[in-house]
Amino acid sequence: MNILICIKQVPDMESKFKINGEGTWYDRADLAWRMNEYDEYAVEQAVRLKEQLPNSDLTVLCIGQDQASESIKKALAMGCDKGVHIADPDSSQREPIAIATMIAGFAKEELFDIIFTGMQSQDRGSAQVGVMVAELLGIPAVTTIVDFSYDENTGAIQVKRELEGGSKALVTATTPVVLTCQLGLNTPRYPTLPNIMKAKKKELRTVLPAPAAVDARQETSACYFPEKKGGGLVLEGEIPELADKLIQLLKEKTSALA
Amino acid sequence: MKTLLVAEFREGKLRAEYSQLIAFAQQQQTEAAMFLVGNAGELPKFNGTLYLADAAKHGEYNPTVHRQLLLDVVATEQPAQIVFLHSSYGWDLAPRIAVALQAAQISEIISVDNGLPVVPVCNAKLRRSIKSTTGRTVLTIQAGAFSLEGEPEGAPTVVAIDTDAAGRVQCTGYEAAKLEGVDLTKAEIIVSAGRGVGKPENVAMVQALAKALGGEYGASRPVVDAGWVEHNRQVGTTGSTVTPKLYVACGISGAIQHLAGMKKSDFIVAINTDKDAPIGEVANVLVVADLKQFLPVLTEKLGAR
Amino acid sequence: MEFTREIYWNVGHGFATLAPMYGLLAVAVVIFALGLIKRIKVYRLGLPLDRTDQRRERIKHMLETMLLQTKVSRVPGAGTAHALFFWSFFVLFIGTVLIVLQADFSDLLFGIKFLKGTFYKLFSLTLDLAGLLAILMLAGLFVRRYLVRPQGLMTKGDDALMHGLLFAILITGFLIEGARMAVTELNAPQLAAWSPVGWGVAALLAGMGEAGLRTLHTGLWWFHLLLALGFISALPYTKFRHILTTSANAFFADRGPIGKLTTVNLEDEDQEEFGANKLGDLRWKDIFDTDACTLCKRCQDRCPAYATGKPLSPMQVVNQIGEIAFTKPDAGLIETIGREAIWSCTTCRACQDICPASIEHLGKIIEMRRNLVLMEGDFPGEEVMAAMEQAEVNGNPLGMGYASRGDWIEPLGIKPLSEDHEVDVLYFVGCYASFDKRNIAVATCFVKLCQAAGIKVGILGKEEKCCGEPMRKMGNEYLYQTLAMEMVETIKEYGVKKIVTTCPHCFNTLTKDYRDFDFDIEVVPHVLFLEELVASGRLPVKAKEFACTYHDSCYLGRHNGMYDAPRKLIRSMGGRITEMARNRDQAFCCGAGGGRILAEEKLGERINVKRVQMAVATGAGQLLANCPFCLTMFEDGVKGANVEEQLRPKDIAEVLAERITSENA
Repeated sequence: MNILICIKQVPDMESKFKINGEGTWYDRADLAWRMNEYDEYAVEQAVRLKEQLPNSDLTVLCIGQDQASESIKKALAMGCDKGVHIADPDSSQREPIAIATMIAGFAKEELFDIIFTGMQSQDRGSAQVGVMVAELLGIPAVTTIVDFSYDENTGAIQVKRELEGGSKALVTATTPVVLTCQLGLNTPRYPTLPNIMKAKKKELRTVLPAPAAVDARQETSACYFPEKKGGGLVLEGEIPELADKLIQLLKEKTSALA
Repeated sequence: MKTLLVAEFREGKLRAEYSQLIAFAQQQQTEAAMFLVGNAGELPKFNGTLYLADAAKHGEYNPTVHRQLLLDVVATEQPAQIVFLHSSYGWDLAPRIAVALQAAQISEIISVDNGLPVVPVCNAKLRRSIKSTTGRTVLTIQAGAFSLEGEPEGAPTVVAIDTDAAGRVQCTGYEAAKLEGVDLTKAEIIVSAGRGVGKPENVAMVQALAKALGGEYGASRPVVDAGWVEHNRQVGTTGSTVTPKLYVACGISGAIQHLAGMKKSDFIVAINTDKDAPIGEVANVLVVADLKQFLPVLTEKLGAR
Repeated sequence: MEFTREIYWNVGHGFATLAPMYGLLAVAVVIFALGLIKRIKVYRLGLPLDRTDQRRERIKHMLETMLLQTKVSRVPGAGTAHALFFWSFFVLFIGTVLIVLQADFSDLLFGIKFLKGTFYKLFSLTLDLAGLLAILMLAGLFVRRYLVRPQGLMTKGDDALMHGLLFAILITGFLIEGARMAVTELNAPQLAAWSPVGWGVAALLAGMGEAGLRTLHTGLWWFHLLLALGFISALPYTKFRHILTTSANAFFADRGPIGKLTTVNLEDEDQEEFGANKLGDLRWKDIFDTDACTLCKRCQDRCPAYATGKPLSPMQVVNQIGEIAFTKPDAGLIETIGREAIWSCTTCRACQDICPASIEHLGKIIEMRRNLVLMEGDFPGEEVMAAMEQAEVNGNPLGMGYASRGDWIEPLGIKPLSEDHEVDVLYFVGCYASFDKRNIAVATCFVKLCQAAGIKVGILGKEEKCCGEPMRKMGNEYLYQTLAMEMVETIKEYGVKKIVTTCPHCFNTLTKDYRDFDFDIEVVPHVLFLEELVASGRLPVKAKEFACTYHDSCYLGRHNGMYDAPRKLIRSMGGRITEMARNRDQAFCCGAGGGRILAEEKLGERINVKRVQMAVATGAGQLLANCPFCLTMFEDGVKGANVEEQLRPKDIAEVLAERITSENA
């Protein structure tokens, strides 16, 4: 089976974020980088599938700056076979359809049976790219999967989609298909040392991005820090009033009482 | 400006969240129509056109077919905005429509500021306001971000729609949420007990608040150590790392392992007698009170709502 | 009269005696040698390791351990009995050698007799008393093992054999002596008095008549010889072997630095296996250790994991590896010992420190952890894997953004080295003191104390990362080396002369483990640094009396032997220390070592709660610590044990900061 895994490198969410000079996105300084958490589940699921079907070939694709290759190396250490790095210094400014077009452009050249990716990125969080890739390639997509199995005899793919409130939808699909992975789909493995060593020798191809194939459809007007929801609010006073104030705050600032 | 709202139907039921779509349209003061693959027996309370396809025929989750049904309605209705909930249905279907219409898609809108949708990014640490440059825009709105003051009202004018499009994936059924065992990492609301509860009997106050909020209860390590709360409810790096929408820390001073395990929560309320407790550093709201007095009052008031 | 006796009395000294005697001895030696060779073959299944350097020290250490019984006698009771038994048996052995020397060599060949006169009297008396002492001690040990039966003591068939054989040798010895004396010395009390026990036995046997006594004597003499030869032959096959292996192990003992782990060569591309899961993955010393073990259970008695109901006993680990080595060499180490046992270790070193047989428990456990982590990506729980990933991304296992690591110094007026590297000392802060509010308070006190002493301190700030200690102890050698090499490079670039730590784990790692990365900068733990400042008068202290108890962290204590300086510092600031029952080299771990700080304690009771209860028992009200891990565990522990009102855990630096005189503050 020919499998593509699309991953993204994102800042660790505990990083000290600062807004960039243009006020449109975060500044890259002082950030720690890692593979998008959702994509780790995608990589793991692909590697598990390869363990089931040893003849599979796993290609991991990442679009981003030079250091994005670190995340590709991690995916290779987890068990992917080869990496493709679309070296695009401007990737963080590209909107989902632009990224999806780049991926689809790459995927069109090879016939992938399954494309795994995270259901969203931790930084942009648009949850669009995976589905858009499928639409551009004209193949089905199932999003937010929390369970996956492949039947070697029938070729049927059984997945469970996570729904609101904890229930799940059981969905059957066949290849080719795009699957976007939700947290909890599996437990991403910790790469073993021999695999880290092997990964250093695996093919990692760097390609330049194709000229923009789509016109911009949206632009960031501003990126900023939200006013602190409670602003580290300290409530003091009589018990009943405190309770009223807190309930009011929960109504205003959260969806907990909705 | 015309808006098309995409309502949801699952497991034979209309999802009540459609009212949030109405709230969004009302806030935008736009003329709205609604789209639903559902059941004529259970219609949304809404004054306007409802384009209704039959879920019995077209499936509850059948993206290719629903996409076609929706594109047909868009062709008729010519809306400037197509609004989904940012839900398992919405984020699955919306990008398909955006691609087909070559429209901008803006996901998980939490508010509209000066006419521009605002979305949270980087784990809600930052906000981004986005301007669509296409004539038509696909939007998804965050659950709970827009709500009606009261119950939705009205009766729609139903326009039945149909298609011959065929699905390529098949939803074969549902699996109910597991009741046994607790997985705090999945909980949306968590109320946790710290050593400040004083004695094991007082854990019940924390449980009662969790119940009143419709959430789960958890505990810090010392409370679990003391055997007052079972192991699988321990929050912290040596227990579960949780990211609920609301985290209420009751009598938890905030040891580093605990903080690291819960500080990614969207909204944190701390109830503590010590104003300077480290928990105050991550809390959005610090209620300076003795939880033994405060919790019963709060729980009662929540119950009375 | 001449004070001596006829050797080979009654049995004769002719060919008819000597030929079978030496023939049997030869057989015993052959049996012994065959057994020994068989075992040596098994030791050689292990990986090579040079333990023959520093021979002078090694021999000295071996002789001390063996002849002076220094390690065995550390534990009173059974240890004392063992030492006394050893010494008396050793005296009997020397006595026997002297007899053989005179009878079969000096007298036989040159007609020289030295067992006579005053020397003979003393010789006779000494041997008699030694024999009696040996019987008494053996009896005491017998009562302990078979009647008292201390909890956790493993008694095997070997033990019965050893007790039986030793009793038989000693008792037959006295019977032979008694039979001989009944015939030859009952009329010579001046002579018999120098063999008081034999005399007593002779008096009891006297009624048998000479012929009967002679028959009895001959029979017993040969029987005694057979027993002694049996002892020699049994050496390699029974726990008797410890006489040889435990002594040899003192020679082969790890000569430090204490607790420094072996650094895996990660550059070697041919290496495909890491850590230990098969017998052959261990070093020969690890296998030899299992033969040196006498199952004395001292390690088990001191193991905090064992004491709190976790499935780890250091003794069992060694015993199980021994069973694999000698009976099922293909069995998996990890499967046999069990993952939970392997993960339960806090590397507190209590086992290794007390072990009278110089066994290295920690290395074995770490090697198995290395196999689990590096070969399988396995951890004690997902929380530990998450901490590892956090350390990779942010340089700390807590998952805090790396860029805020130095934020805590803001109110103190000190700078990171990147802004000012002209400093007296680099304070290597560590993860907990950088991010945890409770430990930031300690770090703040430490910096203020340095400032009061006029010492300019700098930190690495966001350039600092975890020293890698918890990762290394959890078996993640790869991540440890990545972090360590980065830290070594960063620190060296600034040309720092002296480093102070407030975390003993950082201290031990920087000062020992980093040596393998060509890092030789002086590192001092804060307690010692402050003690020197106070002692030299640079930091004037206004002593104010207070009561406390003091917890020896495993990494300042057993790993570095720093027991006195912290106590001296506490006393110099007015502290009255009430020691916990388990203190100094016997201190009970807080539960956080060995990377356990990152792991959920799922099994058994909580170690930290147990330690806190020991501190409460002193009634001191304050528990002074010197380690951020300990402090964190105790802060949780006082809550878990519900003793927040009775016990305040504090770092020594915090108490000292309250006592610096105002003109300096």
